[in-house]
Amino acid sequence: MNLKHLRDKYSIVGVGYTAQGNVPNRTALSFHVEACANAIKDAGLKKEDIDGLMCYRHFEPLGNDTEITPYLIAQYLGIKPRIISQEANCARGHLVNAISLLEAGFCKYVLITYADNAFSGERTFLKEATHGEPVDDNGVFGEFGLVANYALAARRAMHVFDTGPETWMEVAVSQRKWANLNPIAMMNKKLLSYEEYNDARWLIEPFRIYDACPVSDGGRAYIVTSTERAGDLKQKPVSIMGAGQHNPSVDIHQSDFMEGPTGAKEAGKTAFNMAGISIDDIDACQIYDCFTYTVEITLQDYGFFGPGEGKDWFKGGRTAPGGELPVNTSGGLLSEAYFMGLTPLTEGVMQLMNRCGDRQLGPKTKTKEPEIILCSDNGGVFQSNSTVILRRP
Amino acid sequence: MAYKKPLPKPNSDTRPFWDGCRDHELRFQRCKECGHVRWPPSIICPRCYSTETEWIVSDGKGRVYSFVVYHVAFHPAFKDELPYVTAIVELPEGPHLLTNIVECDTSEVKCDMPVEVIWEDINEEFSLPKFKPASDN
Repeated sequence: MNLKHLRDKYSIVGVGYTAQGNVPNRTALSFHVEACANAIKDAGLKKEDIDGLMCYRHFEPLGNDTEITPYLIAQYLGIKPRIISQEANCARGHLVNAISLLEAGFCKYVLITYADNAFSGERTFLKEATHGEPVDDNGVFGEFGLVANYALAARRAMHVFDTGPETWMEVAVSQRKWANLNPIAMMNKKLLSYEEYNDARWLIEPFRIYDACPVSDGGRAYIVTSTERAGDLKQKPVSIMGAGQHNPSVDIHQSDFMEGPTGAKEAGKTAFNMAGISIDDIDACQIYDCFTYTVEITLQDYGFFGPGEGKDWFKGGRTAPGGELPVNTSGGLLSEAYFMGLTPLTEGVMQLMNRCGDRQLGPKTKTKEPEIILCSDNGGVFQSNSTVILRRP
Repeated sequence: MAYKKPLPKPNSDTRPFWDGCRDHELRFQRCKECGHVRWPPSIICPRCYSTETEWIVSDGKGRVYSFVVYHVAFHPAFKDELPYVTAIVELPEGPHLLTNIVECDTSEVKCDMPVEVIWEDINEEFSLPKFKPASDN
């Protein structure tokens, strides 16, 4: 597949934030609408310009919330987009789909959004365990949801190559250091030491509590358009140098990719081919990190290190502030906030826009000033991967 | 005492499997065209798309492909079981089955460990295939 003609042709031109973390008495819809309005304002667009709206999937509404649909978000934003969509199962194709719509000419400005009131609403991502009986037969054996699913994969990886808590501890501690520099990160004021990681209780072994990301209130949105149109807008655009997607799809229980290669390998290949660069050209990474192991296996599948070499690769703060290859510079899902793939992607954009304050890559954090940042999104249990390479213009 | 844990919910695809369990048989579909043994059950073979299928019975001797140890109860009925092991057992015929490893200390469970099926009769309708360390090991 040759996608070279798309290299740098489309750009991200605005990012919308909301209050985040623990923000009680708010509906998920209110966060969506606020994030979207802020993204439109950030880009310097009019709401009428938005002709594409894509939402990430929404889980069961919490409290007395209504079901989140793109219709509802469009209504509350007062827009009537030509194209709307929302995936239902965490297939992370939003950006690739947006590029396709822009390239085909159906849309000029696509707005992508995710929001939830998961912290205040005490979402566990375990519908089957908290709202009655399981929806599948896994609960028959006491297997409930995502933590166990990812832990199964991580355990298999421990068996196949040299990994485990010693590797994942580096991921958790390094990301926490970034969060400590990010005032809006949920864990901004909470330090995390190796000792605390090791002393933490098991959640589902081999994962301790620090291996899993917490849930958050809040929302995040961004806007994609052509690089040509981007030139007239408020922000210096960040171009999409490469993008790829891959969906291994198989349920983790029957999968043969627990220890990799996950979809990151194939999606990464597509994105790097389109960009015409190699991993040596990457200045920083924003990697989807629902669990610590997800960061390890994704970077491994991209080729940053061989199977089991992560243990040494992460050591010495390579990915932490001051490190050679910064990873998840907002704190990531593990320590900033959970907005699905928008946490990593928007951080990549903000870093390249030079808008990251104390955590800004460059002299401030004794890191390389970034030109190119690699971002990933991952859905289901390694069933969907989206890879994006961003570049400062 | 009434059984408080979730019960299987057979559908038209999975009913023959659960019926087999009640008879203490691990039944899987084998494609008559290409011989592929599939799990979960499906109307077509995912390899060759043939609908010609026969049911075979596994002797239930497999190995632990991967496992986790629950230290937190995500469902009240499992609270008294903590810590407990959920695992994927790979059967020689091919299927990867989600199950529990029982009759084994949680710290003794290892990937690739040989295991064999042991049946837990939970009521008149259902028996659950669980696995314990292989006796001839």
